[in-house]
Amino acid sequence: MPPFEGSQPVVCPRPETNNIVSIDVGGQVFQTTKQTLTSAGPKSFFSRIAESAGVYSTPFIDRDPELFSLLLSLLRTEPFNLQKSLLLPLNGRDSPSALAATAEGALHVAHGSKITSFDWSLRRKSTVLTQFTAVDSLLALSPSVAAAGANDFSGLQILDLEKGRVRETLNWENVTKSGSTVQAIGSSAEQMFVSFESSRRNSNAIMVYDMQTLAPVTEIAHNEIFGADIDSAIPATKLQWVESCNLLMASGSHSGPSGVSGNVRLWDVRSGNVVWEVSEKVDCFADVAVCDGLSAIFKVGVNSGEASYVDLRNIGNAESEWICLGDKRKVLNGKKEGFGCKIQTQGTQVFCTKGGDVELWSEVVMNGGRIFKKNLMGRVRDMGGAKLTNLAFGGSTMFLTRKDQQCVEVWQSSSRDF
Amino acid sequence: MMTEEESSSNTAASERIKLNVGGKLFETTLTTLRSGGPDSLLFALSNRRSADPTPVFIDRDPEIFSVLLSLLRTSHLPSTARRFSNLELADEALFYGIDAILRAATAPPPFSGIDASLASLIRPASDGLPSSFAAADSGAVWIAHGGQISGYDPNLTHAATLRTHLDHIDSIYKVWPEIAAVGSTSDAGLHFYDFSGSRHVGSVHWTDPLDPRIFKARVNSITASEDSVFASFDCLHRENCILEVDKARLQVKSQFARQSGNQAKNIVPGKLTWIPATGVLVGSAVTGGAFGYSGYVRLWDPRSGEVVWETSEPGSGRSSRFGDSFADVEADVEGLLLFKLCSKSGDLAMADMRFLKDDPWVYLKEKNPSLASYGEVRNSVVHCYKGQVFVAREGELEVWSRVESGDQSESDDAERFYRRNFVDKREDSERGVIKKIEGGGNRLFVSREDVEGIEVWESSHSAAAISLL
Repeated sequence: MPPFEGSQPVVCPRPETNNIVSIDVGGQVFQTTKQTLTSAGPKSFFSRIAESAGVYSTPFIDRDPELFSLLLSLLRTEPFNLQKSLLLPLNGRDSPSALAATAEGALHVAHGSKITSFDWSLRRKSTVLTQFTAVDSLLALSPSVAAAGANDFSGLQILDLEKGRVRETLNWENVTKSGSTVQAIGSSAEQMFVSFESSRRNSNAIMVYDMQTLAPVTEIAHNEIFGADIDSAIPATKLQWVESCNLLMASGSHSGPSGVSGNVRLWDVRSGNVVWEVSEKVDCFADVAVCDGLSAIFKVGVNSGEASYVDLRNIGNAESEWICLGDKRKVLNGKKEGFGCKIQTQGTQVFCTKGGDVELWSEVVMNGGRIFKKNLMGRVRDMGGAKLTNLAFGGSTMFLTRKDQQCVEVWQSSSRDF
Repeated sequence: MMTEEESSSNTAASERIKLNVGGKLFETTLTTLRSGGPDSLLFALSNRRSADPTPVFIDRDPEIFSVLLSLLRTSHLPSTARRFSNLELADEALFYGIDAILRAATAPPPFSGIDASLASLIRPASDGLPSSFAAADSGAVWIAHGGQISGYDPNLTHAATLRTHLDHIDSIYKVWPEIAAVGSTSDAGLHFYDFSGSRHVGSVHWTDPLDPRIFKARVNSITASEDSVFASFDCLHRENCILEVDKARLQVKSQFARQSGNQAKNIVPGKLTWIPATGVLVGSAVTGGAFGYSGYVRLWDPRSGEVVWETSEPGSGRSSRFGDSFADVEADVEGLLLFKLCSKSGDLAMADMRFLKDDPWVYLKEKNPSLASYGEVRNSVVHCYKGQVFVAREGELEVWSRVESGDQSESDDAERFYRRNFVDKREDSERGVIKKIEGGGNRLFVSREDVEGIEVWESSHSAAAISLL
């Protein structure tokens, strides 16, 4: 994207659209939107610019404008430009069960009892054997270290993927003195969160560990089941740290005779209190994800298969409920159209898998209200493949896996090598 | 006064050397040139007076040289190397005397069955159905096909083909780097062929001056220790024995394990393995009939000719395994383990050769319930390589590999934690029934029934990403 060389910079800001930000970099004025800037992450330099930029003030950055224009174009173009670019084949016959990517784009793929790691360039790989029959939860701690857990195997293992060794096994000491299976793993910059369930399936908790020392910090969301009230203690099956409000999103669901029910909670990790919670009775989520860039929680309904959101800025208020982005009538259908759908967010974009396709939801800022619009990702020949089973982001790269296919699809930005 | 930084950059300048290869100028450091080892041509060039301003002229192709120079610099082959064949690179590396470095860079990484893919297919030019083959530690392989032996070097390029007097070679063993021992179940005697001179260098026959029936004995299996070759012979009336042949003189040293061959438990061993660590010879025989499999495993001490340990099936082992006799047996030479594949249940069992007893078998469990039943298989092959056990059931190839257990407390030492994985894909298994598996030089060679050539499986650190753009 060429800087505005020679052209007269637009200095006068329009107060009615205060979403536009002007930045003076080394003498050249750039104009962009707040969303573009905040898509770099809530604690990034760009987000701070977005905050500091008032209606009539233009922040000055003493940096090279040419390089800044590259960075800005990177923020602008991603990830609208993701295209299906590579296929990483996996050896053996096991289909991938979990994906985890680092911010640099290194990838770990669990398939069967094996974990194959690809380096950031996706040119070199290595495979190790684990004690799990299948890995259900995987978190990349670094390009060579991953945390892995399974629904049918006790303990969370910190694996050294270079040496193929278990570095440490973390267990949850539960009341029943039975094993503890891992239901979900999440992380913030300083902490790792693990949702454990006792092997007897009558108690569960979320353990918080220090990322550096892996020492337990605290235990939250401890539940025990007494009697038949199973709904009172559904273990969290997805954990996501919400950076902007320092809360942990934990969601869990289970399928009963009356359909799928579950809950989504926001936890204050330090106090161990639930800040906000929503009980899912009608169209329970198939998957939930928090989009920090848009300050919203997104879900895809298991019955409707449609995406819905809750504005995080409203959660203190009483009217915080799901706003359906698609066909609202489908909420009540019993077809389970959303079964197995995954939802992930990256920057200010929301990615939702539906069958073999990925829907991309993006916000369109209009006067007085937010509108979300969707697009199907990929070209015609990319559509309608086998059902998508996993979706992960590493940096600006999207990784997908499909049912019964022993490979990982890599979607990269077409502006990657400028 | 020169500062330390300046002097170091000065030495760096005098360390530099210019080479003119085929008209193209290259500049590199002495350290890079010398990394080829003291015997290389480049090392010799690096000893030239560096004061000489004109670069050394080498009348070779500059393009290949640039590939080899980056190999010396980084010890990896650059992507431009793909423009040249392995043979071209190997020839050029030989000229510069850095062939060992090239071999190290192009050799496959340690073979891991859980991460292996089909790297290539070797197909002899004529009569391509392999009857047997022998893999070497260097990654080279000799293939016996239609009475011929074709040799392939570690780059898997064809080195030579030799015609033997046998019509069908059933067993082949590498006795010396250039000498193969071959035997046939349709022709008498054990024969030695020299590959370099491509000629017959000796034969050994089993004879007994007291017994005229011992005549035209055929070879069923061959193995070798450091100084002897062991071959199992059987006659037309099924009497059999093992001959120990002196490796240097190619003459019979001793005869042991003579058996009548009138029962399944004393037929000729179809598989022999020498265990150097304990100095015993492991022999096994399996026959399959209408009533299932029967056979034996026997360990001999060749010095005394005595049987050290034996088991025969059916008739031994635990009662719960009744009727589940082994379909194939293989010895893991490094791990001192025996593996058997049960014919009916399809289970793999392991026995520690250091603690052999009445029923030493430990049955390995499949941890994944969806894969737990294998069912009966007609054709199976077991092979041990690099601490992993490869099992072929019909056309499917699987590997049992050990998992590093985190804590020692729970793991019982005898029953080590083995996990089963498929090496191949479903489409690979449809190519045909696997007849023979052998590992060598971090490669796994696989031959299939009625399929020309042999498959070469390798592990790789390359992601082998397929571009979709």
